[in-house]
Amino acid sequence: MIARRIWRSHRFLRPFSSSSVCAPPLLAPYHSQSFASPKSRPFLVPCLSLMKWCEGGGGSRSWFSNEAMSIDSDAGGGFIDVPLAQTGEGIAECELLKWFVKEGDPVEEFQPLCEVQSDKATIEITSRFKGKVALISHAPGDIIKVGETLVKLAVEDSHDALLVSSDTPGNVEPICSQPKLDTLVGALSTPAVRTLAKDLGIDINLVTGSGKDGRVLKEDVLQFSGQKQNVTDSAPSDNPFIRGDSVSTSFEDQIVPLRGFNRAMVKTMTMATKVPHFHFVEEINCDALVKLKHFFKEHNTDSTVKHTFLPTLIKSLSMALTKYPYVNGCFNEESLEIILKGSHNIGVAMATEHGLVVPNIKNVQSLSLLEITREMSRLQHLATNNKLSPEDVTGGTITLSNIGAIGGKFGSPLLNLPEVAIIALGRIEKVPKFKEDGSVYPASTMMVRI
Amino acid sequence: MSISRAPLMNLVRLKGTPILEQLHLEERLLRASTDNWCIVNDGTNVPTIVMGMSGKPSQLLEVGPVIKDRIPVIKRFTGGGTVIVDKSTLFVSLICNKDDVPSVQPYPRSVMAWSGSLYGEVFEGVDGFQLRENDYVFGDRKFGGNAQSIIRNRWIHHTSFLWDYNVRNMAYLKLPSKVPQYRLERDHTEFVCRMKDYIERSDFVEKTVKAVGNQFAMKEVNLEDIDSYAKGEHVKSTRLLTMEELQEAMASTAQSA
Repeated sequence: MIARRIWRSHRFLRPFSSSSVCAPPLLAPYHSQSFASPKSRPFLVPCLSLMKWCEGGGGSRSWFSNEAMSIDSDAGGGFIDVPLAQTGEGIAECELLKWFVKEGDPVEEFQPLCEVQSDKATIEITSRFKGKVALISHAPGDIIKVGETLVKLAVEDSHDALLVSSDTPGNVEPICSQPKLDTLVGALSTPAVRTLAKDLGIDINLVTGSGKDGRVLKEDVLQFSGQKQNVTDSAPSDNPFIRGDSVSTSFEDQIVPLRGFNRAMVKTMTMATKVPHFHFVEEINCDALVKLKHFFKEHNTDSTVKHTFLPTLIKSLSMALTKYPYVNGCFNEESLEIILKGSHNIGVAMATEHGLVVPNIKNVQSLSLLEITREMSRLQHLATNNKLSPEDVTGGTITLSNIGAIGGKFGSPLLNLPEVAIIALGRIEKVPKFKEDGSVYPASTMMVRI
Repeated sequence: MSISRAPLMNLVRLKGTPILEQLHLEERLLRASTDNWCIVNDGTNVPTIVMGMSGKPSQLLEVGPVIKDRIPVIKRFTGGGTVIVDKSTLFVSLICNKDDVPSVQPYPRSVMAWSGSLYGEVFEGVDGFQLRENDYVFGDRKFGGNAQSIIRNRWIHHTSFLWDYNVRNMAYLKLPSKVPQYRLERDHTEFVCRMKDYIERSDFVEKTVKAVGNQFAMKEVNLEDIDSYAKGEHVKSTRLLTMEELQEAMASTAQSA
């Protein structure tokens, strides 16, 4: 029961800093001197070994734990895997910069072994133990995932290496009886093959290598996984390597990482859905608007200006905001205050090939229709070329989303936080309407959803 | 009852010191001294490109113009990104024993959180200052970065603050492949801002010294006296790239183009 709970909590904690769990450690586990202080080291490390030994499996090593350590022999000396420990939340990998030791070198406790670099820091990794460098697993320039073994040390004193203290439950026993030297040292393979084995959930040390010097190759791992699949009737995995003999390569999934606006959009929209939304839909008769636009077009003296409905709608919105300032507010969730904004900075949602972006026109209350038209055009041009400045996209007080531009009647917009209102405009369409006396007349209408 | 005294921090004030010399000094103090140090350099002498430890010139620089204009390129001993610094840049470096700053764990995020709050004191009242991802920003425009090195019991966190910059100099730097999320694909000139638009130069220096002084007992040390603080040999990683290396980088860029 306890082991399962620990396993679950370990899996949750694995990608994050180990400082989030505090518990009395069973025995000081291996750790690099440069990393988190002892009290932030959780007991999940010794318990992980506890789990591992409880499983009764033979040398199944955990490559994932923060400071996993495995002992392969209970004879006088032993070998210790030195993993890349967690260097901070969210950092999944580091680049190895240089080694300070080479295979065969003796190392003292606290002696620097190598230097790695995460995004912002170079970090020295020091040895926890006194011993000798048995096997160096990576070369400078390699990218190493957190938890992967950096180097294997041979230690003389098994008490140094023993992970779990004697007062743990009785089912803790070193499993491996008399491992051969090559098993102790571990399978020879490249980091890429190790990663593949890890992804397939295979202990690389169980795989027979067909390469030079018994090196484990990619084919060996794949073949091993195929055998394993035949032997164990495990639940179907959605790993394409394991599924059947012939894997179709023509309909593969494609991973598209979100970048730029799209990435930001996902985050802001997710936050917006947490806010209670009230929707109000109305149909607006736009006959007068159509006439106005037509008038502007006819009397347009400036060929650089293209007249659309939007500037008039923007200005009308501003005039309405003067009457109803609460709609032009910003909500502060922490202090539960509404800030009634003085300026009408009306944002206009624009779909560009880079993603959805909402630049705003500042101080619409002080602008004329022509000025608004020009400013809209400027922002549209910048948006299309992905050249909007932060000034253009911040400071908005209310947003218009012109779904009609792409041909819809209805849109269901999400708030552009911290604004309190957003208006989706449908397309202006000519529809038949009935008069009181039953006769039909045409009207240009627009569906508006607030 | 014992009164706990603030740990000592040695303050070194430099002006116009070449950045290579400053970095050599910092690496020396990090590795060969056991004291805490705060180094402030008011500008460097010539425009210089400074890359992080694992920086590759072919990926980070427009190598052709760099070679043509003979801009020195340094690889520093800390991680982090690439900057071009000049006489208007302000440098602040903090080297600490981890035991003297017990609230800080010796890993990047923890160090950054501490430095972010220290600079928060410096920029109190200045609109929009925050530590955003790994950068110091006003709003969403970066004016200072973050570079660290963490060794056994000590760490260094140093920053070059973009007091002012020459747009032409930015042209020597490529858009890096790894960028913070908030950058949103903006190029250099739309991503960074000038610190001088937000605070007076002397104000910044004095407020920084004062903020550090709130946590440490400060003692001014002259450059000439450094030898007595840092003795013995140490690993020297900071270096100037050779012309051959830059030419190789250009060749490899041309090959992959």
